[in-house]
Amino acid sequence: MNVLEVSNLTKKFGGLVAVNGVDLNVKKGSITAVIGPNGAGKTTFFNMITGVYTPDGGSIKSNGKDITGSKPHEVTKNGIARTFQNIRLFGNITVLENVLVGMHTHLKGDLVGTLLGLPYIHKEELKAEQEAYRLLKYVGLETLLNEDATNLSYGAQRRLEIARALATKPTILLLDEPAAGMNPRETVELTDLIKKMREELNLTIVLIEHDMKLVMGISEHIVVLDHGEKIAEGKPSDIRSNTKVIEAYLGKSAVGH
Amino acid sequence: MIEHIISTLPQVLIDGLALGAVYAIIALGYTMVYGILELINFAHGEIFMTGAFIGTALFITLSGLGFLAVMPALLALLLVLIVTSILTGFLGVGIERVAYRPLRKAPKLITLISAIGVSFLLQDLVRFITELKKGNYILTGPSLFTEQISIKASSILSSFADAQIKSSTIILVVTAIVMMIGLDYFVNRTKWGMAMRAVAQDRDTASLMSINVNKVISLTFFLGSALGGATGVLFAVQYGTIDPYIGFILGLKAFTAAVLGGIGNIRGAMVGGLVLGLIEMFAAANLSVITSNVFTAEYKDVFAFIILIIVLIYKPEGIFGKAVAEKV
Amino acid sequence: MKLKELLNNNTKLQAVTLTLYIIVSSAALYFSQKSVTAFLLVLASILLLYLTKFNNKVKWGIGLLVLVVILPFTASQGVAYESYMEVATFVGIYVAMAIGLNIVVGMAGLLDLGFVAFFAIGSYTYAIFATAQANNFLPDIFPLSGSWFWLFLIIGTLFAAIAGILLGIPVLRVKGDYLAIVTLGFGEIIRIVFNNLDKPINFTNGAMGIASIAPPSIFGFEFVQSSQFYFIVLGILLFVIFAVKRLEFSKIGRSWKAVRENEIAAQAMGIHLVRTKLMAFAVGASFSGAMGVVFAAKQTFIDPTSFTLLESITILVMVLLGGMGSVPGVILGAAVMTILNLQVLTEVTNWLGQLNMQGVISIPDALSPAKMQRMIFGLILVLFAIYRPQGLIPAKNPVFDEEKLKADDLNQNEEKVITAQQSVIDA
Repeated sequence: MNVLEVSNLTKKFGGLVAVNGVDLNVKKGSITAVIGPNGAGKTTFFNMITGVYTPDGGSIKSNGKDITGSKPHEVTKNGIARTFQNIRLFGNITVLENVLVGMHTHLKGDLVGTLLGLPYIHKEELKAEQEAYRLLKYVGLETLLNEDATNLSYGAQRRLEIARALATKPTILLLDEPAAGMNPRETVELTDLIKKMREELNLTIVLIEHDMKLVMGISEHIVVLDHGEKIAEGKPSDIRSNTKVIEAYLGKSAVGH
Repeated sequence: MIEHIISTLPQVLIDGLALGAVYAIIALGYTMVYGILELINFAHGEIFMTGAFIGTALFITLSGLGFLAVMPALLALLLVLIVTSILTGFLGVGIERVAYRPLRKAPKLITLISAIGVSFLLQDLVRFITELKKGNYILTGPSLFTEQISIKASSILSSFADAQIKSSTIILVVTAIVMMIGLDYFVNRTKWGMAMRAVAQDRDTASLMSINVNKVISLTFFLGSALGGATGVLFAVQYGTIDPYIGFILGLKAFTAAVLGGIGNIRGAMVGGLVLGLIEMFAAANLSVITSNVFTAEYKDVFAFIILIIVLIYKPEGIFGKAVAEKV
Repeated sequence: MKLKELLNNNTKLQAVTLTLYIIVSSAALYFSQKSVTAFLLVLASILLLYLTKFNNKVKWGIGLLVLVVILPFTASQGVAYESYMEVATFVGIYVAMAIGLNIVVGMAGLLDLGFVAFFAIGSYTYAIFATAQANNFLPDIFPLSGSWFWLFLIIGTLFAAIAGILLGIPVLRVKGDYLAIVTLGFGEIIRIVFNNLDKPINFTNGAMGIASIAPPSIFGFEFVQSSQFYFIVLGILLFVIFAVKRLEFSKIGRSWKAVRENEIAAQAMGIHLVRTKLMAFAVGASFSGAMGVVFAAKQTFIDPTSFTLLESITILVMVLLGGMGSVPGVILGAAVMTILNLQVLTEVTNWLGQLNMQGVISIPDALSPAKMQRMIFGLILVLFAIYRPQGLIPAKNPVFDEEKLKADDLNQNEEKVITAQQSVIDA
């Protein structure tokens, strides 16, 4: 069953076609990687799925619902969560609060109840705190819960972004270059975390990544973008030997020698 | 009603052109700084105001020394314009150094607050100095270029009323045009101008291309502030009486002009200024007639702000700007 | 240094020091009624109280004791009573407004330079109906009596909140730094409109202002003196502080901060951007509106000159000085600035004037401190922006009890990490 169906998705910036007619079907519970050289349109592709950009053409369906042109907060409510290439944490609030914000779509927290300090508000806050704590433990940040997010190390910030995304209780998790800037040890830990999340949380994962070892190691399906177009897709082994892909990465001269 | 509008039209056009020229040059200062730092330089209106005071003080000094009587008025004006613009230019550079540069990496909110602080500080400094010297902070300079020239608009179209133009208006508009052409040439045709455009595009890349970014930013502030100061002088000559609080609202409207023309766009700012000046003068002359006295001319500022809000909401890139998507 | 450490950790010593301080300062005020210093010292005991390590209930108890009993009583023994209470009343009014603006600027990160507009809306709401002014457009039943004041407190609050939403709907689409200039424009528009709304129908009486506004009354008792308004203001202020404290660490407050920290990430977490910002605008505006009603009733006369840009900037200075996002900070900032404006600057001016008269020194009139407001505001804004953007009392994040969370987590170990995992699919 496909949980995410993207067809003919297109985005133009002025004269530049950033993404051109890209299709993508993501199977439930799979790990899919979107790769391609810099400027291939990968992040733009993610931004359209998550509603940051409005597509100029094509459609996006998630969990059977058409979400083309939805606002980011609507997309989130439909079960898609994401992390960002250039980390976007809430820097000056604590680690635990960051995760709590991720839970907001599942909290009532209305104005009247809050002002009157009604018991259900207190109860749901306590429950959310416990859940947030468990998520932090899940990504291994529970001892840093009271730190300001901005004080975390780079790798820890990336993991916090994942915990925060999980807090929205997604069915599909989009990771935009989750391993960027990580050292080899951190990358291995991340790989394990991604696998673990898929297994334990029934997640479908789509990731953009440049680290080929990680990509080839965990994904079942790979999509290659170049100049906004999909030039190949398939199993890791197919992609590895695809001439078009090698061309895109290394230039024409690399092929055939 | 229509008759009234048509008959006052020639005078509205002249007054609107004069006011529009003022807005246009001040708008240049906002647009240049915004283009390069993405900062609304609230203090720019105060630099204009400071220019008006420096210029008036110089005129008063010159006339006190008796120079004004023997010197051709145009030469005196030129001298005052040059001295004032150099002083306000350095004032602008100093403000950037002290109040903005330390905050270049700080949140935008903090820099904006600093800019407002500078603005208030300048208002009161000028108020203080003027009051100390003159006993009153409202200043009237020697009257110059007050010859009235009558334009027989009625001979073009019988329903036009004749209009009056002061020679200072002609000087104001001509100087404004010269300054705008000069700036346009500088930005588009010279090496420094190219460096400015490069820094506005991408500060980091520009610095990799061995452009001294700080120098370019200082230069931008110098030019914008010099033009603003010079406009202050022209404003003082044109309208006679000035006070330390003229800069804030006028600056705000000039910023509106900059937004109207597309922020960061120099030619756009010029057109935006003229459009706003004309609209405002039109509103001042006709608002009470059109709305049969429901809205008086005092609402003209309200209209300027409503234009600003509407443009920012529906066409934030301005009339001449291109829409830019924010990078995520 | 040693003494500081000792004081820091010993609550008993803190209690003794604080009690002594309160006794000495209020005795000083009681016996030396003309001493502004003594009055300010009594007020300062609240700051001292804040710095102690007592638990919250004790702090509130002592604070209320000082503000409700000790301060009014010790100040009441002489001629300066009303002028002291006037200052204290204005401190309360400005504190509430600064707390309101703090929600918008400090918590949600939206620079609002036209905040005084909401104060004006509150003021005019009461002023128009508590004078004959409303007869110009409604049947002749006005002015309403002062007992309506209490209802108008709520109406003024609502009107200001609605104005905040109405302004916010168009304005909050505008990109971050343009917001400052648009709200500034809005503040001016409101002032100009109130200044000119005497025609075609006379709503506001234009630049003449509205006079003889009915003072509040309850069961026949009329509030006319500052010393009486003080208690109204104190009551509203307590409500405002409670409200903002509740909001700050709730879902709503966290949403504000998330929007402040990163709009795009906040949206990606499912936060409705415009709705969250509107809420900040409305709540902030409502505090200001309530105090507007009080202001109109207290002054019994209002005109557009009370609602200028300078007022908006004054409140911004209070927020920045105290600490953006920090409720105790903002209270301190507002108190310091109000006392500076109303008391210190005038006192210093008078004192310099006396020295001038005696020929001790000669200070030109232009330098008179009372006129230096803008310069002082400007300096505070620039210096704090550059050197201490977090303000006098920086905002604090909540500290979660790690041990408790850990223990709870162990108890529920069997549960899956995310139990509601399937809910989205099932739905």
